[in-house]
Amino acid sequence: MLDHILSILIFFPALAAILGFIVHKDSMRAYGIIVATVEFVLSLWLWYSFDASISGMQFMEQANLIPAFGISYLLGVDGISLFIIIMASFFTMLGIATLTETRRIKDLIITLLFLQMTMIGVFAALDAILFYVFWELSLVPMLLIIGIWGGPLRIYASVKFFLYTFAGSLVMLVGMLFMAYFYYQATGQWSFSLLEWYRLILPENIQYWLFVAFFFGFAIKVPMFPFHTWLPYAHGQAPTIGSVILAAVLLKMGTYAFIRFSLPLFPDASVFFMYPVAILAIIMIIYTAMVAYAQKDIKQVVAYSSVSHMGVIVLGTFALNVEGITGSVFLMIAHGIVSGALFLLVGVIYDRRHTKLMSEFGGLAHVMPKYALIFGIMMMASVGLPLTINFVGEFLSLLGFYKQSHMMTLLAGTAIIVGAIYMLAAYKKAFFGDVTKEENKNLKDVNKTELLGLIPLTIIAIWLGIYPKPVLEPINNSVEAVVQLMHDKAISPEAKSTIPSIVKFETQEAH
Amino acid sequence: MLEAVNVSLASLNVATLVPMTIAVVGALAIIVIDLIKGGLDKSLYVMISMLFLLLDLGAVMGSAGVFAANGTQLGFFDVMLIDGLAILAQIVIVVASMMFIPLALTSKRFHEFSYPEFFALFLFMIAGFQFMVASDNLILIFVGLETASLALYPMIALHNRSKSFEAAVKYFTMGALAAGLFAFGSMVLYALTGSVEIHQIAAVLAADGYANMGYVLVGTVMLLASFAFKLSLVPFHTWTPDVYEGSSAALAGYMSIVPKIAGFVVAMRLFEFLIHSGVVWLEVILYAMVVITMTMANIWAIVQTDVKRMLAYSSVSHAGFVMSAVLIGTTQANTGLFLYWALFSFANLGAFTMLWVSRQKVLLPGQSSDHPFEKFSGMFQTSPIQATLMALFMLTLAGLPPFALFWGKLYLIGAAVSGGFTVLALIMALNSAVAGYYYLKLIVYMFMKEPLNEGQNYLVNASTSLKAIIGMAAVASIFLFLAVSPMIEFIGGFVYNSGY
Repeated sequence: MLDHILSILIFFPALAAILGFIVHKDSMRAYGIIVATVEFVLSLWLWYSFDASISGMQFMEQANLIPAFGISYLLGVDGISLFIIIMASFFTMLGIATLTETRRIKDLIITLLFLQMTMIGVFAALDAILFYVFWELSLVPMLLIIGIWGGPLRIYASVKFFLYTFAGSLVMLVGMLFMAYFYYQATGQWSFSLLEWYRLILPENIQYWLFVAFFFGFAIKVPMFPFHTWLPYAHGQAPTIGSVILAAVLLKMGTYAFIRFSLPLFPDASVFFMYPVAILAIIMIIYTAMVAYAQKDIKQVVAYSSVSHMGVIVLGTFALNVEGITGSVFLMIAHGIVSGALFLLVGVIYDRRHTKLMSEFGGLAHVMPKYALIFGIMMMASVGLPLTINFVGEFLSLLGFYKQSHMMTLLAGTAIIVGAIYMLAAYKKAFFGDVTKEENKNLKDVNKTELLGLIPLTIIAIWLGIYPKPVLEPINNSVEAVVQLMHDKAISPEAKSTIPSIVKFETQEAH
Repeated sequence: MLEAVNVSLASLNVATLVPMTIAVVGALAIIVIDLIKGGLDKSLYVMISMLFLLLDLGAVMGSAGVFAANGTQLGFFDVMLIDGLAILAQIVIVVASMMFIPLALTSKRFHEFSYPEFFALFLFMIAGFQFMVASDNLILIFVGLETASLALYPMIALHNRSKSFEAAVKYFTMGALAAGLFAFGSMVLYALTGSVEIHQIAAVLAADGYANMGYVLVGTVMLLASFAFKLSLVPFHTWTPDVYEGSSAALAGYMSIVPKIAGFVVAMRLFEFLIHSGVVWLEVILYAMVVITMTMANIWAIVQTDVKRMLAYSSVSHAGFVMSAVLIGTTQANTGLFLYWALFSFANLGAFTMLWVSRQKVLLPGQSSDHPFEKFSGMFQTSPIQATLMALFMLTLAGLPPFALFWGKLYLIGAAVSGGFTVLALIMALNSAVAGYYYLKLIVYMFMKEPLNEGQNYLVNASTSLKAIIGMAAVASIFLFLAVSPMIEFIGGFVYNSGY
């Protein structure tokens, strides 16, 4: 069974979703929770059976899909994708368990299970077309979640989300086809297998163009400045579950794809574009932090702060060294946990008051102490307080980029500290002071279902902040392999020197 | 004194004519049956047409076997040309026709299907298209084209609505103009080269190095314009939305598939040598036409308020997309053309059939056309299965993976990439994104809006056979990716062995 565990992880939720059409709608929640829990246990089993000392792909599966055009069903995980897969199944489980939506709940759970299939598929696929299939397919469930269960502007928001991402990924598809064509020219065989593409060394000018084509697809998904405009709408209109999954998992597809595709396929172009991308990332960090400060809606604050932190992930990725990339992968997990939790927390208060405006709140700490405590911890984690999960990722990402540029890292670091201001200000407005509104006086504190979702997240946020090693080590191993591959593939001396070699000292020992 | 002409039967190679003959015999049989005993039910004629189409397909498969073994077959003094393109196109034509004809078995009674002549015309039309693709003789192509078109016009008009008459007359007028252009273009090429056979025209033109460039230009442009009418390429597409709106949804779906594959094959035969002639302006004209067709049709489709008109513009856009294969002109591109069209026909037929089953005879109050977007508002809440199926066809048409059409798109854009048409590949990709918008619009209406008309029945016209067709189209849209690899090999072999 372990040979096919990835296929099972991908298709079990989809199969369950199809069978779910028959389940009665009153029992659908229980069904959804059971399916998602089984899936989560399976993903934990994957972690348990995962050999952390191996840097390459594990649990690989291969079957020919369209041999005439070199497309195959190729799956595998390494340390980079493993934890994102676990996080995806974890959040689907939490999301369904804490679901407060009652309207058309059966449709919602079926949609979520389909979404889960596509999410895990994206992170497990090692064939470019297979990756693209899941990548595109993930748009449909999210479109429906925002468009059916969203706020008043939901249709505009969902269509904007769909078209933006669809357009970007079609450019990426052309890039993939070019990549396959160059592979065909070099070897006489069509192939979309990522592992075979890794072996291909492309001339620099071709790398530049392909990097740009892939960049469009990924940058829109992340979303990087200036392609981020769909995200505030999507978050603003999406129901809580939609925002949680979007922030925790879907956005990670973009940053994950940078590490999986852009860096190892185009090392010279990555070096060439390192500063432009880093500048975009820093603009993203500073600009969205400022925008977040100006928001009146607490969910928009969380949404913009989430974009801001995605900037740190991109910055870490484009440090192009082990520390930076490891940090950015770790920060992907951390960002998922923290922003997912924050969106859940916003959902809690929205369910009670049906408003997200901060001016409507104030003094919530008096009436909802437990809620205020958890919110406080998560907010501290979000601003990167040491001993919380985000700190580890942010520190490593910045450390990585510090080796490339002191100035820019300082700028980004300052921005993160300044970022604390808007979060603290938002927290102060909503939680401290006197209870000014009559409606807020009798608000109920978090109930058991909500705690069920929030407590595990809080524990993880602190546990991995204090002791990140179990997660950091497998990531580090796989990232070292990626960086080494990049170093070996780089053509220009500039790229060779920018991307450090891991085995340098080992070869010296051999002499 | 005329000498007696001795022609041996063997040299005629009668076998090349068998598939078309079957269709013609079928049509005549239907007329004869009606003469002997009138008033028979349409189901009889549907099944008779079906049987003759099956025989036809069998004969085509037979010639496919001959082609695979012995290569291209010529017959009737080289007028008939059964090469891989002819066989592939005939397979698409006959199979699509077999999926279309059961759509006559609606639960509501529609005017046209009560006439046996409709089915006779239908089979004549198929024979016409088969002649059109199975020749490189401009005269036989012309005869086939006109046979098919003249059969198609009355089929549209038989729908017996004022809009259908308008559609038929419009189509007829435009078709007549296209026929005139075709005849004129052929004449010019004949005057230049002394032949009406495309491969000889190519040989003569190549031999004198395209000396009379001006005349070649006139001839080619005339021929291109006449194909463009048939293939509804911009700016010769203006009839398309009106004709589709006037015809029944079933026939509109049919018209967006079968006549066009015949047109593509002829275009492919003609432009195969023109594109490779190294004459730059030919490529430029075709390039511009492809890009404008794709882009403009997409933009027009966005602003439509009726689903059928939207699908009409979308089919124009698909035609432009596929026409790029003729422009690229590599074996991979030509393979992609057939692959794309075969995959497209399932999804498109499914979408039009969904419209067809929801076609009510009397419009509801406040409904201006047969299938406005509002009609489908909130469809998911009242009839979830139909809405899901319709959404599936829309996503397939939009080219969303892993549904069938995506692989056609992928292969064709791949052909553009490997053919060196980088900009074209990007334009094709971006147009797919634009197209996503209007397909999505219907999904938005179905899933995200509240129902407007209480008691809107989306299955008013359904019968078992219609549902079966929809089911087939849906299964094909989802699972055809499993068959894409054998299809590429099959089509690629036929295209390659025909020298395209």
